[in-house]
Amino acid sequence: MLSKLIVYCAYYLKSADWYRNSKLFFYDLMENGHSRKKKYFDATMICLLVLSVIFLIYDIEHEDSKMGGYFELAILTVFIIEYLLRGWIHYDTYKVIIEEYEKALYLNLEFKLTVVFRKIMTRELEYISSPFAIIDILAILPSYRPLAILRIFIIFRLFKLFRYSDSAKLFADALANKRFELVTLLIFTCFLVFIASVSIYMFEYQATGSGIKNLFDAFYWTIVTLATVGYGDITPHTIGGRWVTIFLILASLGVLSFFTSILIAAFSEKMLSLRESRVYAELERWDNFIIICGFGRVGQEIATLLEGERQKFVVIDRIPERIAIAKKRGYLAIENDGSNNEVLINAGICKGATAILCITGDDVINVYITLTSRRLNKNLRIISRANRHDNVSKLYQAGADNVIRPFEIAGLLAAEFVGQPVAFEAISGILHNQSDIVMESVLVSEKSPLDNQQIGQLDLQQRKLTLLGVISDNPIHLKHKNKYQVKQQHFYFNPESKFILRHGDLLVLLGRKYGIDHFRDQVERRRLFGRKSV
Amino acid sequence: MINIAVFGYNRLSFEAVSRLDTEIYHIVVVDHDPAKVALALENGFESASIDFRSDDDLKLVGIGSNIDTLFCFFEEDSDNVFLTLSARALDKNLNIIAVVDSPESAEKLLAAGANKIIDPYEICGRKIHDILKWPDITNIFDHTVFGRHDLHLAEVVVPEHSYLEGSHISQLQLGSHYNLILIGIVNKKVSDELHFVVEEFDRRLSVGDILVILGPSREIRTFKKNVENEFCKI
Repeated sequence: MLSKLIVYCAYYLKSADWYRNSKLFFYDLMENGHSRKKKYFDATMICLLVLSVIFLIYDIEHEDSKMGGYFELAILTVFIIEYLLRGWIHYDTYKVIIEEYEKALYLNLEFKLTVVFRKIMTRELEYISSPFAIIDILAILPSYRPLAILRIFIIFRLFKLFRYSDSAKLFADALANKRFELVTLLIFTCFLVFIASVSIYMFEYQATGSGIKNLFDAFYWTIVTLATVGYGDITPHTIGGRWVTIFLILASLGVLSFFTSILIAAFSEKMLSLRESRVYAELERWDNFIIICGFGRVGQEIATLLEGERQKFVVIDRIPERIAIAKKRGYLAIENDGSNNEVLINAGICKGATAILCITGDDVINVYITLTSRRLNKNLRIISRANRHDNVSKLYQAGADNVIRPFEIAGLLAAEFVGQPVAFEAISGILHNQSDIVMESVLVSEKSPLDNQQIGQLDLQQRKLTLLGVISDNPIHLKHKNKYQVKQQHFYFNPESKFILRHGDLLVLLGRKYGIDHFRDQVERRRLFGRKSV
Repeated sequence: MINIAVFGYNRLSFEAVSRLDTEIYHIVVVDHDPAKVALALENGFESASIDFRSDDDLKLVGIGSNIDTLFCFFEEDSDNVFLTLSARALDKNLNIIAVVDSPESAEKLLAAGANKIIDPYEICGRKIHDILKWPDITNIFDHTVFGRHDLHLAEVVVPEHSYLEGSHISQLQLGSHYNLILIGIVNKKVSDELHFVVEEFDRRLSVGDILVILGPSREIRTFKKNVENEFCKI
């Protein structure tokens, strides 16, 4: 009967929205590193911790102060609730019950509550014995008055900071990575301390005027000497004692330098990943940015242009020297392999990136990055570089929207230049924004005053604009001549003045930047006020 | 017929050469590597294997005599600089187009006497940027002006005794008469700078002005023919 009730409850919890939502809320609050709530929660907890330690210090001088007592109680309640909540969100108890129940049902076995209970306890112990949970309990226990001796452990509450601060976590992680080296050093140091303590004790114990009265004094002297502190309150008086000192000082120099080198190595290793995670954190806040894979000559050129327009982008490259260049210029850069799924996901390919440029010098890598990106995000714009002609089709097959061949474009421009240098300079100047004149498109939107208007009525000449043509996929225009098919659209070159614009059409205009902008603004304003003529 | 010597046979020169109209241009591919010369011959180009370091060899190809345009397409910047320098010494009026690998070399090539520098990486970077920023326009231009479709940019010089001489820009009406768009005009007497038509006040054309026009090649041809005619009606 009881087991039936428990199984029923488990199924109920599984389907209950409020249960899942509240669990999710607390998960976001306490554990989810990407959530904003956690940041606020962590900050509050750090304040509480610091306050509790301040009150402890205050308590030492003013015993049994009332305010301190209440405050202590409040903090304690918060800590206990936090501890229990963490235990609750650590895993789902109902899952264990349902799993066991379904297994029993399938195998036609009896559903035993004891088995379930044992499994739940194992999971529970797993949580209780985790290092952070131990620190949590250490922060709670000393408040229990009968255990007054534990009060000193209140200071351990500060260890809880590790939970709430990333930099503290980083420090611990860095040390944890060097566990093997640190343990080796510790064993050696213990050995050294033992030998030195025993030897100085043997030599000095009976010497007249010696400060070493017992083994603890010897141990104290060894540590003070080993740490190169040397208070001088205990000094060796015998020849043997002095030899031990010389030996210990020399050995301790080695120990200390070894220890320092381990720490430095640990932090410099950690620094790399720290920097990378900074980049990722920055990217998380962005949207509408571009990922540039490959920071060679082409990548650098694009980056310069994008920077000029204040367009956000992130650079990914495997070569450290190139990443150094990117960082020197102040760009966000990740030193990693762009073909790696995880790197691309972290860089925000599914979240905020609008385009990816696969422009390394190696076609194999470009194809691979293109394929990976397309698989991760169906709607992303992918522009790839093909260094060899045969790879163009492969890149399109891999999912690229546009494929660029550097040598083809350069060759083409060289050929154009031979025939018509003036025209070439003009058009490349326009295309590359080197002159005051630009070429831009203006969209005929729905209900725009341009909709259903004849081109002759637009009075473009008065506005000092030249209309090169109209881009449209509207079949209604197909009767016009001078059309050039480009993908699914048509480009209507030099349209007649009778040409009637429809919404969705793009006017390709040549003129001064502000002339075109002014025209576009005017159209937009008229559209909003619902007037017809431009 | 314009004679072009292409030094260095590689992907870039292949692309450039295959886009040139062989009816207008006579092309000779030159390389010091016999294997590359053989490859160029195989691809149907007139080729010669000479050492570009020797002035006599350069003269042999025709530099200083019949070559009008020189492409320096070697992969090493230093080779291109050397070739540009030697060629410029042989012929003051030679049109030299050189490719550059590292951006610092651009200045050196210009100092050596090159007329035009082509930096493939820079061009590629700009191109990708354009595709990102103006996808529609870039696409259209790639397919029309630079691509398979028959839409071209052309330069037309106003010759002597042409009907264009002395006429106003607004009178031309290229759009309705020829299906051409006039982009701009270069007044050769003043400077090489291009004046965009949209900017210009209505000015009179004089002999030597260059009109930059955009349109289908048939229309360009007709226009060019008519320009030489003194009595063509506007």
